[in-house]
Amino acid sequence: MANHPTTPGAREHTFDAIVIGSGISGGWAAKELCEAGLRTLVLERGRDVKHREDYPTALKNPWDFPHRNKTPRAVATANPIAKKCYAFDEATAHFFVKDDEHPYVQDRPFDWIRGYQVGGKSLIWARQTQRWSRFDFEGPARDGFGEWPITYDELAPWYSHVERFAGISGNYDGLETLPDGEFLPAWEMNDVEKHAQGKIMAAFPGRHVIQGRCAHLTAPQPQHLAQNRGQCQARNLCYRGCPFGAYFSSNSSTLPAAAATGRLTLRPHSVVESILHDPVTGRASGVRVIDAVTKQATEFFARVIFANASCLNTNLLLLNSTSTRFPAGLGNDHGLLGRYVAFHNYRGSLYASVEGFADSYYSGRRPTQLMMPNFRNVRKQETDFQRGYMVFFGASRAGWQQGNYTPGVGAAFKDRITRPGPWGISMMMQGETVPRKENHVRLSPDRKDAWGIPQLVTAIGYDDNDEKLMRDFLARGQEMLEAVGAKKISARDSKQNPGLDIHEMGGARMGHDPKTSLLNRWNQLHACTNVFVTDGACMTSTGTQNPSLTFMALTARAAQHAVAELKKGNL
Amino acid sequence: MNRREALRQTALAAGAAALWASLPARTWAALAAPADWSAADEALLTLIGDTIIPATASSPGAGSVAIGRFIITQATDCYPPQSVDTLRRTLREIDAASRQRFNQPFPALSVDEREQVLTAYEAAPQSGAHPFRLIKELTLLGYFTSEPGATQALRYDPIPGAFHGSVKLAPADRSWAL
Repeated sequence: MANHPTTPGAREHTFDAIVIGSGISGGWAAKELCEAGLRTLVLERGRDVKHREDYPTALKNPWDFPHRNKTPRAVATANPIAKKCYAFDEATAHFFVKDDEHPYVQDRPFDWIRGYQVGGKSLIWARQTQRWSRFDFEGPARDGFGEWPITYDELAPWYSHVERFAGISGNYDGLETLPDGEFLPAWEMNDVEKHAQGKIMAAFPGRHVIQGRCAHLTAPQPQHLAQNRGQCQARNLCYRGCPFGAYFSSNSSTLPAAAATGRLTLRPHSVVESILHDPVTGRASGVRVIDAVTKQATEFFARVIFANASCLNTNLLLLNSTSTRFPAGLGNDHGLLGRYVAFHNYRGSLYASVEGFADSYYSGRRPTQLMMPNFRNVRKQETDFQRGYMVFFGASRAGWQQGNYTPGVGAAFKDRITRPGPWGISMMMQGETVPRKENHVRLSPDRKDAWGIPQLVTAIGYDDNDEKLMRDFLARGQEMLEAVGAKKISARDSKQNPGLDIHEMGGARMGHDPKTSLLNRWNQLHACTNVFVTDGACMTSTGTQNPSLTFMALTARAAQHAVAELKKGNL
Repeated sequence: MNRREALRQTALAAGAAALWASLPARTWAALAAPADWSAADEALLTLIGDTIIPATASSPGAGSVAIGRFIITQATDCYPPQSVDTLRRTLREIDAASRQRFNQPFPALSVDEREQVLTAYEAAPQSGAHPFRLIKELTLLGYFTSEPGATQALRYDPIPGAFHGSVKLAPADRSWAL
C-alpha cells in the first residue's frame, strides 16, 4: 500500500483498519474488525465517556437536580434545537451537542440532534429494535423509487448475530411484517393495554398489537454477563447512561469487546476532516484528522476505512473528501452523494382516556411500549399514499401531575392527587418517508466550523405523501381508540421539523447500479472499494422500524466481508 | 444476575461515595436567597404552597421543603421572563382577596380561612391563563420532586428491579413518584 511512507511517524500512524465514529454502528465495526485480528483505530470527534464512571447523573434522585430535571431557560435559549429533543433535560444535556458549538445551515427547517462523545447517540437512543421484513427491502423497487441490493434473507443471520450479543427483548409473534429475532423475555403489558390489544385485534384483522422489542437485558445470558452487563432494573432512566449496562450501548458492550482483543486504539477528540485518496492505487489511503482541542492536523493510514460518523456527518465527510479523482467528494461520480436523504414521520399522535380499571395498577418502569407493525400497503398498493407506518402506544395512570388540572387545595386535594388517577392511552406514528432526490445535504460554500471544515447545509422537507400518510394514521388511530372504548379522543399534528425523529437516513445509498447509488451490496463505495459506509447514510429507504438494529446488522456483515476481502488480497 | 448482585456491582462501579459527595444541595433552603424578592414575599409564597399541599398524617407539607424559594428560583431560571410578574401579581391578588374576605392579611388567617381564600381565587374567572395555575404547578413540582414529597406522600422506588404489568391497587396505595 502507498501509505505515505515518507510521512514522519507514519508507521505509528498506520493501522489495519480505521473506524470513523464510535456510535452504535462504529462500535460494531470496531468489535468485529478487532475480533477478526485487525489492529483498528477508532476516531471519535468528542470526549471519552467511560462506561459507568462517566454517567454522572445515573443514580441521582429528582431532588438532586438544581431545577428538578427541567431545562433552565439559559440552556434552552443557547440550544434552540437540542432542547426540542424529548430526551434533553438537566440529567442528560451533557450527552447532547450544544447548538452554538456546532452550527449548520438550514435551507429548510431541520432539527439535527447530535451526540459527540465516545458512544455517540448509543448512550441516548430510544433502544427500540425491530427487524425489517422482506416487504421493507422489496418496497422501493416495487414502488419505483429505489432498489435495495440485498434481501431480508441475506441480512437475517446478521440480525441474529447482533441480537444475541446486544440482547433484545421481545415475544415470538410469528409475523411476516415484523420477523422474530433472537429474543430475551418480553416486557409485560398492563391491564388496559391487554384490553386494548384484545379489542383492536378483534375489530381489525391484520392489525397486530404486540409488545415492543427493545435492547434491554430482561434475562441476561452468559454472553451478556461476560460483557459485565446486568439485568434491566426497570428504572427507565436510560438516557443518563445505565450503570447496570442493561441496555445496549457502544460504551457498555461493543467497545469493551473490541478493547479486550488488545487491538483497539480509541482516539477521542479526533475530528476527521477528510478521507485521503491515493490516485496510484485507486483506493483510500487514510484520513486527515483535526485535533478537536489543539486543532493540529494529523494523518492516519489503513487498508480499510469504515465511515460511521452518523448519517449526515458521514455525508459531510465524504463530500469534503475531495481529490483529483473525486472533485465532488469521495465516490461521487454522479452528483448523487448527499441526495435521497429521508427520515421518519412522527407528526401524528392521539390521546384518549379510558374509564374503569380503577383497582388495577403496575409497578416498575418499562423501557418500551406496545407496537403495531405496519399494515398499510404491505403486499400491494392500497391507499392514495405510498408506504406505511408503525404505531406505538401505551396506557398509564395519571400521577401527581393530575393536580395541575384538578381544582382545589388542602388535605383532601393532596389525598386525591397522590392516588393513581384515571387511565390514559396514547398512540404515535413512525411513518416511512420516500427518499426524494431534492431532499439533500451539501457543503456550505462559505461557512466553516471551528475546525475549518465546511458547515453542512440541510435541504430536507416533508411532501404531500407525508401529509396523506399522517392523516391516514390519525383516522385509523381514531377508529382503533373508539374500538377500545376510549373517550375524549384528541388527535394532534405536532408539525415537528424533519430531524427531530433522529432517524435521518440516506445520502450515500446502497444499490446494484453505480450510476444510481453510492454503495454496493457490501456497503463499499462503488468507486473506492476499501471505504465502507455502514451508518444511516447507507440506507436506500427508511422502512417503518427503528433503524439502529439494521445499522448494526449491516455493519457486522460488511466488516466480515472486509476481513474476507483482505484475506483474499482484494483490498 | 440477581438484583442484589446488580446493586452491589453498581455501587462499586459508580464510585458511589464520590458521586454522592458531588450532589447539589438537597433542599431549597440551602440555595442563595433570591435577589429582588423580599423575605416577606418568599414567606407568603411558602405559606400559599403549604396551603395547597399541607402536612397530613403520613407526610409533611410543602412548607417543610422551603417551597417559596423553589418557586422563585424555578420561575426565574426556567420559565418565561413574564412568569415572575405573574407570581408577584398572584401574591398581590391573594393578599387583597384575603383582606377583602376576612379583613386580615393572608398569613394572619387560620388554615381553613386560607383554604377558602385560595379556593375562591382559583375558581374566579380570569381573562386568559389563570395566574394561580403557575403557583400551583410550581408547588406540585417542587414538593413531589422533593425527598419528603417523593418518598412520603408518594411511593419512591428508584430501582424497581422489574416491571409488573398487573398489580392490584390497595385502598391505601399511593402513586409512584417516578
